[in-house]
Amino acid sequence: MATRPADVHTGGAALAASGAEGRLRDAFVLLWANKVALLGLVLTILFLLIGMAGIVILLHPGLHHLWEDQNLRAVLVTPGSEGHLLGTDNFGRDLLWRIVAATGLSALMAVGVTAFVIVVGLVMGSVAGFFGGRADTGITGLIDLTWGFPLLLVAVIFAGMVGKGLNAVVAAAAVILWAGFARIIRAQVKTLREREFVEAARMLGTPAWKILVRHMWPNVLGTVLVMASYYVAITIIVEAGFSFIGLGVQPPTPSLGGIIAEGRNFWSVSIWPSVIPGATIALIVLGLNSLGDGLRDIFDPRLRRF
Amino acid sequence: MTAYVLRRFVYAIFLLFIASLFVFYGLRVAPGDVTDYIRTVTSGQEFGETLREQLGLNEPLPAQYFVFVKNYLSGDPGNSIITGAPITEILKDSGVNTVKLGASAIIIVYLLAIPLGLFAAWRRNSPQDQTIRFLAVLGMGVPNFFLAILLIQLFAVKLGWFPVAGPGGLRHLVLPAVVLALESLAINIRLMRSSVLEEAAKDYMRTLRAKGLRQRRIMWAHALRNSLVPVVAFAGIVIPLILGYTLIVEVIFRFQGIGFQLVESIQNRDYALAQSLALLFTAVVIFSNFLADIGHQLLDPRVRERTVAR
Repeated sequence: MATRPADVHTGGAALAASGAEGRLRDAFVLLWANKVALLGLVLTILFLLIGMAGIVILLHPGLHHLWEDQNLRAVLVTPGSEGHLLGTDNFGRDLLWRIVAATGLSALMAVGVTAFVIVVGLVMGSVAGFFGGRADTGITGLIDLTWGFPLLLVAVIFAGMVGKGLNAVVAAAAVILWAGFARIIRAQVKTLREREFVEAARMLGTPAWKILVRHMWPNVLGTVLVMASYYVAITIIVEAGFSFIGLGVQPPTPSLGGIIAEGRNFWSVSIWPSVIPGATIALIVLGLNSLGDGLRDIFDPRLRRF
Repeated sequence: MTAYVLRRFVYAIFLLFIASLFVFYGLRVAPGDVTDYIRTVTSGQEFGETLREQLGLNEPLPAQYFVFVKNYLSGDPGNSIITGAPITEILKDSGVNTVKLGASAIIIVYLLAIPLGLFAAWRRNSPQDQTIRFLAVLGMGVPNFFLAILLIQLFAVKLGWFPVAGPGGLRHLVLPAVVLALESLAINIRLMRSSVLEEAAKDYMRTLRAKGLRQRRIMWAHALRNSLVPVVAFAGIVIPLILGYTLIVEVIFRFQGIGFQLVESIQNRDYALAQSLALLFTAVVIFSNFLADIGHQLLDPRVRERTVAR
C-alpha cells in the first residue's frame, strides 16, 4: 500500500539490506529502523524496571520507610534539594520513592489485568472463530453484551458493590477489555481457517486444538503484542483516573492518580507533587502507545485504526 | 433498513434489561446497606431495623427488583436516602447537565478532527502535518484529569477567563468540554488522516483524475465521504469513551452531572440514588451506541447489505 508511513518504507529498505531471516529478527530490524517505536521500547523497558523496583519496596515491609516516612520539617520541598531528588509532598514524604512505589503498583496491576484479558480474549476469540456454530453465537453474544460499556462506569458500579479500592477497577477492566480483543482474534482466526496450511493440517488429521495452538496462534502473535501494549496503557490511565477521584487505591498507599489528587490541594505552594506524577503517567502511556504503533506497523498494518 | 433499526432497538431494550438486573443486584449485594451509614450518624440498632423495614430492604430480592423497576418506570424512584431530595429531580438536572457536556465534547471532537485530519493528509509530511501529528500523539498520552488540573490553573486561576468549577452557563462548560474532548479528538485526527490517505491511494481515485475531474472536486465530493466511513464507525468506541470520562471530568470540575452524582452517591452508599443514576447512565450509553450504529449504517451501504444478508 502506498499509504504506509515513511518509517515503514525505510524499515523495508533496512530489512532488504540486512537479508535477515526469521520473524522475530525481521521484527527487530524493523523496530530498529523506526525511531519513534524504539523510543517507545526504551520508555517501556524503563517503566518495567522502575515498576519492578516499586513492587519490591511496596511488598518488602523493611523498605516501607522509603515511601512512608514523614518529615514535617521538610514539606513540599522543591525537586533537587536536601537529598530529595524530586522533592517532597505535603507530609514531607520523598516524592521519588512514592512515585517509584506507585509505578510498581500500576505496573503490577496493568500487566496482571492485561495477561488475563489476553488469555481470555485469545481463547474465546479462537473458539468462536474456529468452531463457529453455536459456540460462535454464544461468544459473539457475550462480546456484544459488554461491547460499548465505558470501563469507568463499570468500575464505579463495581466500587459500589465491592467497596472502594483497586479490586473494583481490576474487575471492571477484566470484564470489559477481553471482549474487544476476542473480537479481533475471532476475525483473524476465521480468516486463517480458510488458508491452505490449515487445510493441509486438517487433511493430515491434526486435532483441532493442535491446529489452533501450533498453526494459528503463532500467526496472531503480532496482534497479541500490539494489543497488549495498548491494554497496559489503557489500564494504567483508567486506574490513575479512578484513584484520582478517590474510588481507587486508598491513601497512604501511593498511586499515581492519588499523588496527583493530593498534590493538587497544595498547588499554590508547590506544583511539583502533582506535575511530576502527571508527567510520569504521560511518559509511560506515550512509550507504550509508540511501541504499540511500531509493532502494529511491523506485524499487522490492518490493525491500524488511527 | 427499517427492519434493521427495529432489530437494533429491540436489542437495545434487551441490553437495558440486563443492565438493570446487573445494576440492581450489584448494588444490593454491596457490603453494608445505607442504614449502616445513617446509623453511625444517628444511632441505635432498632432505628436501623425500622428504617430497613420502611425502605423495604427486608423484602425478598426479586420483589425489590420489581418495585425498583416499577417505581422507575412510573417516574417516582423515591428520595435520596442521604439528602432526602427527590431522585427524579436529581436525575433530570444531572441528566441535562451530562448530555450538555457530552454533546459539547462530541461536537468539539468532530468539528475539529475532520478538517484537521483532512488538512494533515492533504499536506502530508509538511511541517503543519508533523505538528498536528505530534500534538495528537501528545493528546493521547496525557491523562485527561492531569490536563484538567493544568487547564484550571492556567485559564481559571491565573488568567481568570473561565470559572474554576461548577455547573452553569456556557462559560462553565468550556473547560470540562475541552478536557473531555481532547483524547478523542487526538484519536479521530489520526484516524481521519490515515483514512483520507488510504482512500487517496485507491484505484477509483486515479480513474477520477484520468476522467479530468479537478483535484478539489475529487477531494470534496469523493474522498471525503468515503474516508468518513471509518471515522463514523469508530464513533461506537469514541462515544462510550467520552461518556466514561465524564465520571472523572465532572468530579474534577464539580460539574453536577450524572457522573458526579453517581460517584458521590457511591461514596455515600446512597444505593437508591446510585441505582437510579447508574441505570440512567447505562441508558444514555446504550442509546448513544444505538444512534452511532444507525449512523454507520446510513453512511456505509456495504454494512447494510452485509447485515441484511445475514
